[in-house]
Amino acid sequence: MADVRFSEVHKRYGAVAAVRDLTLDIADGEFMVLVGPSGSGKTTALRMLAGLESITAGEVYIGPKKVNAIAPRERDIAMVFQDYALYPQMTVFQNLAFGLKRRKTPKDQIERRVREAAAALDIERYLDRKPGQLSGGQAQRVALGRALVRDPQVFLMDEPLSNLDAKLRTQTRGEIKRLQKDVRTTTVYVTHDQVEAMTMGDRIAVMHDGRLEQVGTPEELYERPANKFVGGFIGSPAMSFFDAEARAEPAGGVRLASGPIDVVLPGRDTLPAAVTVGVRPECARPWTADRTDLAGPIAGRVAYVEALGRETFVGVDAGAARLVVHYDGRAALLPGDELTFGVVPAGLRYFDAETGAALATRGAPIAS
Amino acid sequence: MTSRREQSVAYAILGVFSLLAILPILGIVVTAMQQPGGLAGFGSFDGFHVDNFRRAWEQGNFGSYLKSSGIVSVSVVAISTVLSILAGYAFGLMRFRGSEILFYIFLLGLMVPMEAMIVPLYYDLRDLRLTDTYWALILPQAGTSIAFGTFWMRAFFRTVPRSLVEAARIDGASSWLVLWRVLMPLARPAVLTMMVLLFMWTWNEFLLALVMVTDEGLRTAPLGLSFFQGRNQADLTLLAAGACIVALPVVVLYVFLQRHFIRGMLSGAVKG
Amino acid sequence: MSARSFVTSPAAALAARRGRGDERPPGEPRRIGYLYLLPALLVFGAFVLAPLVHAFWLSLFDWDGITAGHWVGLHNYQDVLSDQALRTAFGHALILLIFYAGLPVAIGLMLAGVIARVQVRGLPLFRVVLFLPQVVAMVVVAVMWRMIYDPGNGPINTALRGVGLDGLAKSWLGDFGVALPAVGLIGTWVMYGLAMVLLTAGVQKIPPSLYDAARVDGAGAVREFLAVTLPALRGEIAVALTLTTIAALRNFDLVYITTKGGPGDATSVPAFQVYQRAFETGKVGSAAAIGIVLAALIFTITVAINRVAERGTGARR
Repeated sequence: MADVRFSEVHKRYGAVAAVRDLTLDIADGEFMVLVGPSGSGKTTALRMLAGLESITAGEVYIGPKKVNAIAPRERDIAMVFQDYALYPQMTVFQNLAFGLKRRKTPKDQIERRVREAAAALDIERYLDRKPGQLSGGQAQRVALGRALVRDPQVFLMDEPLSNLDAKLRTQTRGEIKRLQKDVRTTTVYVTHDQVEAMTMGDRIAVMHDGRLEQVGTPEELYERPANKFVGGFIGSPAMSFFDAEARAEPAGGVRLASGPIDVVLPGRDTLPAAVTVGVRPECARPWTADRTDLAGPIAGRVAYVEALGRETFVGVDAGAARLVVHYDGRAALLPGDELTFGVVPAGLRYFDAETGAALATRGAPIAS
Repeated sequence: MTSRREQSVAYAILGVFSLLAILPILGIVVTAMQQPGGLAGFGSFDGFHVDNFRRAWEQGNFGSYLKSSGIVSVSVVAISTVLSILAGYAFGLMRFRGSEILFYIFLLGLMVPMEAMIVPLYYDLRDLRLTDTYWALILPQAGTSIAFGTFWMRAFFRTVPRSLVEAARIDGASSWLVLWRVLMPLARPAVLTMMVLLFMWTWNEFLLALVMVTDEGLRTAPLGLSFFQGRNQADLTLLAAGACIVALPVVVLYVFLQRHFIRGMLSGAVKG
Repeated sequence: MSARSFVTSPAAALAARRGRGDERPPGEPRRIGYLYLLPALLVFGAFVLAPLVHAFWLSLFDWDGITAGHWVGLHNYQDVLSDQALRTAFGHALILLIFYAGLPVAIGLMLAGVIARVQVRGLPLFRVVLFLPQVVAMVVVAVMWRMIYDPGNGPINTALRGVGLDGLAKSWLGDFGVALPAVGLIGTWVMYGLAMVLLTAGVQKIPPSLYDAARVDGAGAVREFLAVTLPALRGEIAVALTLTTIAALRNFDLVYITTKGGPGDATSVPAFQVYQRAFETGKVGSAAAIGIVLAALIFTITVAINRVAERGTGARR
């Protein structure tokens, strides 16, 4: 059991900076997800923690030990690879036992620990098979088992679910989370899928272009994104943005104007004249008589309709802006139709039009 | 041309050229089994006088020639296989300074013909008093075999997914263990192909043996055949039998492992 | 992107100044790479590289192998261009290229062109047979063909006489005019199977849709061959030409057993000249030079052929 610390870590490949100034504390027993688009540096950060990449600058600590110069095998970590990396000519049992044998674990202990891990992952009946005879899902469990059996200080997982089909992915997600809760080993989990991040992480670290954009609980990231990138990355469908002029209303409140959008929001904090507004789909609702909590109306034209059965997301063009409006159930709309909608003022988020940084506001929780 | 016509033409070409390829070889086998001292020319069938092979083996000394060839070929293949695996592993999966330059040097060695090396090799080995020993045949051929083998094994090791090696290292395996316990089982087909090709080239090597060896007891099979031909202009059947014996081991290996032979040569082997 | 953008802390600045790029990850073998390489490098260096260097050194002398030699600089190399015997030898090598490389590749292309769009069953069996000549030792091949070419009762002359063409029955390996082509044809026999197998393997990788597109555009068989088959086979043709050319230059075994360069110098080739000069006529320096020239030729041709092929596909095999 150990905590993990990145301290001003940089990674450079020649002239290209893959990770810049990464400072991140991961608590003992925490399930930390590193999430971001490709090229964000999340995998590089993980590999530096594993010892598979050298660290250009900064320090990485596992527990109290600085591990910069320590070889992977000495770091007491276990890693699950995206392509599982199972030893093809060994049986599942031998795959699981390999790491233990290398550490001169006594034979009976190996036997016991392998069977325990196999039981935990429900792969006991595959112990005599070779990786080539396993399905993707089974192989993935063996990869997990190999890490589990080692009982390390830290689990490292590099997009382990990417190669599974959607249904299996959802299923396995829960199992990994449950397992981690049982063994309580510090886990660093890399993924590009923000849904995975949101459902699995105790905390999430969003990375972009080598930089740590924000770290926090899923709720913190969702409700209070630190900048436009995080706002647009977390949440599905994504937050929509539009640039607007903000002007204080003499009667109180703030007027936001952007093309056909012209709304007055009651009792807002002061906003700069040029602002980027973030709108989550659930904060943009059709303009109906019974909704008194909306600011609007905003006139727009339907660009697309995504009917998901239980709810519908409608992409609407309002001038230069494209917003996503949320309907419960079905929406009788077709592309090209006109649509009037409004926004929930408390759910809007504001970002500096130039830097993208979040503007401090008294925003209420969006989830209604 | 209709597809049917094209098919016929294809079969015809394949048939004709296959026949042309195998006829001389069948001819010499048939000749080897002819009645000794008979008047039949090359390729005419007149019975299964397999005794010719025995005579070639004993009187023609081909038993001894095969033994020498066996010793040399097996030694060369053994030495170069192990050394090539090690070197190919280093080039394929390790990063170290100058690895590119060093590899190009190996590649260069791949293109050097025996004709370019034979002159200095002879005088050097003569000074070392190694001529007329098996070493004079084994060591130079090990050298050229290693050039090919390193190239070949490096190509294989580069196809290994990096994550496999990384997983093994995290599990605590040393580079040595990774090579022999994790990667070698995967490499078996590639290694077998390499061994088979090296065996063929070593067994068939003539110039080196001609220059290095004068002692009859050390003569390799091709060299033995060449001497035999010099002596026995008249006895066609014996010569043919000897020729068959010389070619047989590699041909037998080929028949059983032809996939490896063909795949190996098709992968752009530069060595002749 | 300015340098300032990634140097944001003192630690990073230090690394930027010190590091020249990617350092090896911790624990990954460093010097150990050299250790794995060492045995191979030793054997290779001692028995291939050192002789090569030594050969170059020897080529700068006029030496008979017994008494002391004397320095002649690059004179042995100039001989390649000026000495009649050598010019003849290299000239013959050029001619043999046609037999060893040109003909086999042409035969292979012919087959490839026909087989491009048809399903041929039993191809693996044909492949095994076609490849057989490659596997047989050159000495055996030479002995075999000497018997075939035998002017007295070899099958060729016997057949010619049988159909009444007595006039054509020559001493194939003993006649000034036909000796070289006769030797060349042996080379053709050895190499055409390789070329055929190589090129047919390449042809089977061509997506049929290319041919369909050509057909729709109205291309006939010849056009299809030139426009689709040939360009797609660039890589395979390069490999075939490389292997066959090298075989053409390294034909010592064949010449030694069949004609020993004769009659006269009708089948004199550089590979045989090396042997003759080094071990029979006491011109060791010249022999070494010829060997070096052969090596240089092989190198140049390999690089040249592959450059031309690469330019077409843009991708290395």
